[in-house]
Amino acid sequence: MGFNLIQIVSLLLLDCLCSCWSKTPTNGSAPNIIIMLMDDMGWGDLGVFGQPSKETPNLDRMAAEGMVFPNFYASNPLCSPSRASLLTGRLPVRNGFYTTNAHARNAYTPQEIVGGISDDEILLPQMLKKMGYINKIVGKWHLGHRPHHLPLDHGFDEWFGAPNCHFGPYNSSFRPNIPVYNNSQMVGRYYEEFKINVKTGESNLTQIYLEESLEFLRAQASIRRPFFLYWAVDATHAPVYASKRFLGRSQRGRYGDAVIELDYSVGVILKELRRLGVAKDTFVFFTSDNGAAVMSGPKQSGSNGPFLCGKETTFEGGMREPAIAWWPGHITAGTVSYQLGNIMDLFTTSLALAGLTMPDDRIIDGLDLTPVLLNDSLIDRPIFYYRGNEMMAVRVGQYKAHYWTWSNSWEEFNKGINFCPGQDVAGVTTHTQKEHTMQPLIFHLGRDPGEKYPIRQVFRPHPDAATRAVLVPKLLHCSTRRETFGGDACGSANVMSGEYQAILQKISLVVEQHKSGLVPGVPQLNMCDLAVMNWAPAGCEKMGKCLKAPKSQPWKCEWPH
Amino acid sequence: MDHFYTLVFVVANVLSYKCVGCSLPLPNFIILFADDLGFGDLSSYGHPSSLTPNLDKIASNGLRFLDFYSSSPICSPSRAALLTGRYQTRSGVYPFVFVPASRGGLPLNETTIAEVLKPSGYATAIVGKWHLGVGPKRMYLPTNQGFDHYLGVPYAHNQGPCQHLTCFPPDIKCFGMCDQGSVAVPLMANTTIKQQPVNFLDLEKAYSDFATQFISMSARRKQPFFLYYPSHHTHYPQFAGKGTAGKSPRGPFGDALMEFDSTVGNVIQALKDSGVHNNTFVFFTSDNGPCLMRKSRGGNGGLLKCGKGTTYEGGMREPAIAYWPGTIRPGVTHALASTLDLLPTIAGLAGAKLPRVQLDGFDMRDILFKQGPGKREAMFYYPIDPSEHGLHAVRLGRYKAHYYTEGSFLSGTTPDQDCHETAFLKHHDPPLLFDLEADPSENYNLATPKHPEFKAVLQQIQDVKAEFEEGMVFGEAQMRKGIDPALEPCCTPQCSPKPTCCTCS
Repeated sequence: MGFNLIQIVSLLLLDCLCSCWSKTPTNGSAPNIIIMLMDDMGWGDLGVFGQPSKETPNLDRMAAEGMVFPNFYASNPLCSPSRASLLTGRLPVRNGFYTTNAHARNAYTPQEIVGGISDDEILLPQMLKKMGYINKIVGKWHLGHRPHHLPLDHGFDEWFGAPNCHFGPYNSSFRPNIPVYNNSQMVGRYYEEFKINVKTGESNLTQIYLEESLEFLRAQASIRRPFFLYWAVDATHAPVYASKRFLGRSQRGRYGDAVIELDYSVGVILKELRRLGVAKDTFVFFTSDNGAAVMSGPKQSGSNGPFLCGKETTFEGGMREPAIAWWPGHITAGTVSYQLGNIMDLFTTSLALAGLTMPDDRIIDGLDLTPVLLNDSLIDRPIFYYRGNEMMAVRVGQYKAHYWTWSNSWEEFNKGINFCPGQDVAGVTTHTQKEHTMQPLIFHLGRDPGEKYPIRQVFRPHPDAATRAVLVPKLLHCSTRRETFGGDACGSANVMSGEYQAILQKISLVVEQHKSGLVPGVPQLNMCDLAVMNWAPAGCEKMGKCLKAPKSQPWKCEWPH
Repeated sequence: MDHFYTLVFVVANVLSYKCVGCSLPLPNFIILFADDLGFGDLSSYGHPSSLTPNLDKIASNGLRFLDFYSSSPICSPSRAALLTGRYQTRSGVYPFVFVPASRGGLPLNETTIAEVLKPSGYATAIVGKWHLGVGPKRMYLPTNQGFDHYLGVPYAHNQGPCQHLTCFPPDIKCFGMCDQGSVAVPLMANTTIKQQPVNFLDLEKAYSDFATQFISMSARRKQPFFLYYPSHHTHYPQFAGKGTAGKSPRGPFGDALMEFDSTVGNVIQALKDSGVHNNTFVFFTSDNGPCLMRKSRGGNGGLLKCGKGTTYEGGMREPAIAYWPGTIRPGVTHALASTLDLLPTIAGLAGAKLPRVQLDGFDMRDILFKQGPGKREAMFYYPIDPSEHGLHAVRLGRYKAHYYTEGSFLSGTTPDQDCHETAFLKHHDPPLLFDLEADPSENYNLATPKHPEFKAVLQQIQDVKAEFEEGMVFGEAQMRKGIDPALEPCCTPQCSPKPTCCTCS
């Protein structure tokens, strides 16, 4: 059915008229794979997903030529864990990308982190190698910055980009600027050789990342080897940036400029695939690592459309992502799939496309989406919303049950950090970690995508158990009153309560099954140490850019969120 | 592609601009008007779970407006403005809405789109929700306002008790009570009552059949036509017949929306079957923002602030689609436009004379056919009761200034406290200023000492506002004429006790 068939049909028409798809037919072998992963881009940032400024013509066209997923999720509301899941096909709580320093805290890989991706994890490029793929990552790695954590040690053949976020600039006697690597050697640092002007927002990094990708595509096309390109650009992460000719282009401000440049780059890459004659042999997937960082609004943040809150939270705004699959000649153009998808599925799906079998010595959480992509099937599966070591919520079908709710602490909130600006839902966007395990808050995401109206359940203390505080659902009695405007606050409450009971039963089974099989991995994001920062990355000697590290003094990282 | 379009446009321009009175047929007009549907309620505007295949089709083959406004955050005034091209303040359709017993109505000396088109030989019909008054001797009904034919409920379908009525098959009662103490909601054909209470399960089919028959009959007679379909969907209480009940992932609201969508599909099919598809200008929009007090049974304003009853964006910014295959180029437009602009646009396309009164609408043909920016520079936001303080807000270009803000019970229950009834009227000096492009959710006020650069913008807006208000002449408030229960439509006028005795099937 038509999600945004909008641009879709008209663009299709365009394509039929000036068709220039690949000249060489598919030879039946494994397709090339490109994963375009945006940073902090929200569900509502694309024209095809309803962004009112409509400034993403290339992505809208990609959607018109491919399959749109309005129900696609990150595995986590923060970047590093989400990226670790993409490449391992496993929840962060299994692959170790979480912390146990405190309950339900988001952890990631700032440069003082000691840990990173474990050598025990099997990453997508390692698997693809077995089928002769050449693997390249362009952009942000974010799975640890110490030598044994870097991409070339985990299956990638090539890398151009940085191990951490582009925060800065720093005073290098206290904190080194983040290095930029070409393969295993650093070639400069952000704010030094690779300029980002925080004041004007100018940086040509997206252009560099685009050029790196194009060169890679051309080289692989000429030697006709299958490739995997992981295009992890980060212009939409604060501090957002765009190159000079894109600055000021957007109606939306600087964030919009970054989006326009990324949209342009997506267009260039898809066009290049066609020019090289490999479009029909290349599976491209576009998505984002977590929801828009609405706490940095308005200038440094995108939009989560109709969804609640954003990055760092397990509400829909934190984890529901824009997602588009594109593979001309294989995926039916202009389709919308309501399949519940997850970033972890990209691991599993890529293996299936490459003709590889799943690793069988571990639990893989990702789902093989090829039946969805190629036959428009729907597969029943739950979505788990983790924050650190806690399963905060679960989605089963159209229903989502919150077992824990938390936006951020009062302390952080009072500092002005607001994860849900304009969206304070009483009892839902709580500022304390609130447990609902006995009576989860349940929303129907079809009727109420914004998670504003929990399905009604009225409580009454059990007659003989006032002290035990046992709560039982009870039918709601409505008072009838004359309504000028038909104002009715009650209605068919018994139906709702019945609905609550029935769905809770179903969800409880799913949760029970999930938890009984869950063996948490060794947490990798517990320890911090200033000595491990990017003082002297490989290659610094050649550039004379080695800095002296302080003495090692590890501590348990503090994760405020 | 471009050549194709150029050719079409040359032909279209000739058609629409040059051919008045010559042998080429006049274009037909259809206005599809949803009720309480918000900016974020269609999948083409970013709703994740609405199913509207027919609206999606006209959206993908038509021109989608992103900065389109109704003239009021509430029903009757918005409808008066759409039909007259004038702010409701001029016609007097304020404050609030008409009730079944209202003495007032849209004054008969106002000129509706139907009346503009009649002299050019148009057949005119309205099907659905009128809500511009019934009045003494049913004098305000549409057949006295330029429409040849009418089938519908003359006001909102919740303005009569509904607790015993069936809203979904097989026999699911309507959610809630609706308005007590009035007659049961009637279905009227022209000025006679056909059914009381109306049967919700069959209603949409009756509307759809009426609309498609009107189209095919007019086309057969080679008579140009104007069809106005103000739907009850997706206003509370939601209803749907067996065709769409339970079919959407969005619950009762989604089912009601899907039923409206099915009629849109039938209307487009009728145009095709009658051979007038390429000669008909179809315009879709909604009367005001989502009724958020209905929670998940209310609509969705997407990322806009608040909804119905308020002068925040959610109250008045609407989804809008212009569709005319072969003539309007598919795409999106950022041009500022309004329901007020339909009358001058339609008059222009039909070569009809504009009424000789002060109009507030601007001809949209530059936007529709030339991808132009349009003539409208500002949008003025009147609250539910405009007689107290006049304008509450003004949008000029990308900036919007709020001089007054006020919540409404119609937008209650939302997380945002500014939307609630308890957010009392508040005067802002300097006004709150928002950049609607960078901050469509109106979260970040720019009129602060930190941003002296916006002083000039505020001054500009102030000037535009002053000029507009100088030219505003308020009509007599129709809602202040009061009520007379004897005016409520009753199919058995002599019966007692009223209002409950008024029933016929």
